[in-house]
Amino acid sequence: MKHIVYISRAVHPLSDAELAHLLTQCRRDNERHGITGILFYSHGNIAQLFEGEPLIADTLFERIARDGRHSHVQKLIDRPIASRSFAQWSMAFHPIAPQGFATLQGFFLPHHAPALPDTLSIADTLLVNLVRLAVFGPDPTQPYQQDFTSRPGH
Amino acid sequence: MGVQGCMSSLPFPQLLRQLPAGVATLEGPELRFGFVNEAMQALVGPEAEGRRIAEHPGSLPTALLDVLTQVHATGEPYVAKACLCTPTPGAAPPDCRYFDLALEPYRDEQGQVAGLLLLALDVSEQEATRQQAHELALVTRRLDARLRVLTETVPLITYTHDAQGRCTYASPQWYRFTGQPPTADLTAIWPLLIHPDDRLRVLYEADTARRTGAGWNYEYRLRRYDGQYRWLLSRALPEVHPPDPPVYWHGALTEVHDQRELAEVLRRGEAELRFLADSIPELIWTATAEGFIEYYNRYTAEYSGLSKDELGPTGWVSLLHPSEQADAARRWVQCVASGEAYEGEFRMRRHDGSYRWHIIRARQLADGLALRWFGTCTDVHDQNLLRQVLQTQYDELARAHHDLDTFVYAASHDLRQPALNLRGLFDELQRTATFADPEQALLLEMVDGALTQFDTTLHDLAVTVQTQRAQQDPVEVLDLGLILEEVLLGLRPQAQAREAQLDIDVAEAPGLVYGRANLRSVVHNLVSNALKFAHPDRPPHIALRSYYTPAGEPVLEVRDNGLGMTLADPNNPVFQLFVRQHTHIEGTGVGLYLVQRIVHSHGGHVRVASTLGEGTTFTIYWTQPA
Repeated sequence: MKHIVYISRAVHPLSDAELAHLLTQCRRDNERHGITGILFYSHGNIAQLFEGEPLIADTLFERIARDGRHSHVQKLIDRPIASRSFAQWSMAFHPIAPQGFATLQGFFLPHHAPALPDTLSIADTLLVNLVRLAVFGPDPTQPYQQDFTSRPGH
Repeated sequence: MGVQGCMSSLPFPQLLRQLPAGVATLEGPELRFGFVNEAMQALVGPEAEGRRIAEHPGSLPTALLDVLTQVHATGEPYVAKACLCTPTPGAAPPDCRYFDLALEPYRDEQGQVAGLLLLALDVSEQEATRQQAHELALVTRRLDARLRVLTETVPLITYTHDAQGRCTYASPQWYRFTGQPPTADLTAIWPLLIHPDDRLRVLYEADTARRTGAGWNYEYRLRRYDGQYRWLLSRALPEVHPPDPPVYWHGALTEVHDQRELAEVLRRGEAELRFLADSIPELIWTATAEGFIEYYNRYTAEYSGLSKDELGPTGWVSLLHPSEQADAARRWVQCVASGEAYEGEFRMRRHDGSYRWHIIRARQLADGLALRWFGTCTDVHDQNLLRQVLQTQYDELARAHHDLDTFVYAASHDLRQPALNLRGLFDELQRTATFADPEQALLLEMVDGALTQFDTTLHDLAVTVQTQRAQQDPVEVLDLGLILEEVLLGLRPQAQAREAQLDIDVAEAPGLVYGRANLRSVVHNLVSNALKFAHPDRPPHIALRSYYTPAGEPVLEVRDNGLGMTLADPNNPVFQLFVRQHTHIEGTGVGLYLVQRIVHSHGGHVRVASTLGEGTTFTIYWTQPA
């Protein structure tokens, strides 16, 4: 089991329809390959954490890196992990018209995504928080606090 | 017709008729068409025979008609090259054809001009080619002029070399750059102007390029007109006309000196900074605007035992003590979001597993380029240990000091009662007993004096300890006038005994924020000192004045006309416990020591101005100067 985190820039801003299509397509593919994780999107900024079996994850990253819809793909981390931290694969973004999205499986508004699980190390939690910050920008209500609960003996 | 008649039996006229060139005879002075072959018929029409040329010129140019009679009259042949023959005036070019026209007179038996032979050779093709060549020459000339203007206008130096390495052309910029005269032998002088360190390399590379038929692209230093060597970029490509090998190489020289110097400075600066960062025995790192660490210095690897890849963009946080990681991570996210500087004190794990205290600091650099973070982790473990040791020692000392105070207070308090008893017994003894010794009175006086001093010393010791405790007294706004009056009232017996004059002036600064007991103690000590050390020749005059300095500090001035004293440094007087100025006057040497302690403990200070035999002025600055 390993996880990979990268950030990238969309070649052109994605529309609601494209985002919804991406969500359903990736969820279907990722479910089939046992890939879980989360993708952040905002104003052309993309960041994703995904976890899976090493071979499958590497193949997926190779395909992602070649994808013509985005550029400046920068891999931040690629490490073995003891166990999964995400139960499913989901996406967090701001749709222009949010009404239709509430019912979509695996969709979150950026600052409504569930808190990161304790199984992630603090270094990885920090990394995900930084990529979230890089994608969405600072949130005035500061939701980051919730993720760093002190874990003695970790 | 006669000609035709006599020649008709021969095959020759037949040949003549089918000749591709036009042939016709113009007979007699009227110049009527005689024989007209097929090619000529195309020019003058099929029914020309027997008609006068002047009336039936066909496509022949009028210029020819004008010279006909002249040629006939003089018998001189006439040739006109590439005459334009148009079927109808103003016809379009496809119908226009060009002919070389020749008029040759022929003579009869008497040698008289009998007629003219007209020959017309179609030269349309040649003429068209000639005209094309002409237009081509014009275009070439224009292109050549444009090329020349362009090559001489651009800031680049342009040049041409041939296959033997001879320089056949250099644009005027070359002469301007090098300062060489236009007569300079380019091939000979050019290599001499190249920097000696670059010369062999350049010649070798150019030679290789010529041998292989390739272009070149290299940089070298060329001597400028002022003797300075400047870096130039030389690029050239061969002029190729397959399948022949290239004969010429054309190229350009661009000055890249400044860029090269700048790049060199940048490269050196970067290398030096990196070297510096790697040499410092501190953990140093840089991070992107998003907060991902992209560089750790060498010491980080030495300290942590982890490489950059093992640490990763956020791995530093895993080096911290587990109980501090969450707080450090949260603060880092906040700093990246807000751009605030990062600072914190954390324990960091060394490669051997031990944790050492570090101060982690990071600041954002936002210059014209991309925003970046620069951070350091300073080992303060030893300082922290030292601080802990010092704190422990300080606590012990403070406790010991307090115990000592308590002991002194208790001792002085406990000793007072026996002292009082002693005084009572002595008084009783003095009253009841009689002594035979003639020095009795002197001895009694000395014992009395010693008892009094003993009691005063005990009293002053108790006061000193009490004052030290009173320093924690609450401060309040005090009515200075009222308190001074109270203190002076307490000293009235002494003042009356010496007929002292006491003046109080608090109009300028009537209020003071201070501890009540402390203020009383200061004033009491100063005034009682002034009374005690009064000059024996005159009654004491003591003036108390409260005012503000120009900086707004409250000040109390106590001026007397007493004995005065000698001072090592009036601006920074030192009063020590039990050290006395005037040993002939009784006292314990506690008073001024107390005053100074109280004032200093509130951040103020004491100044003294004194002249022996004239008087002393104490100035109390109550508060710390702003």
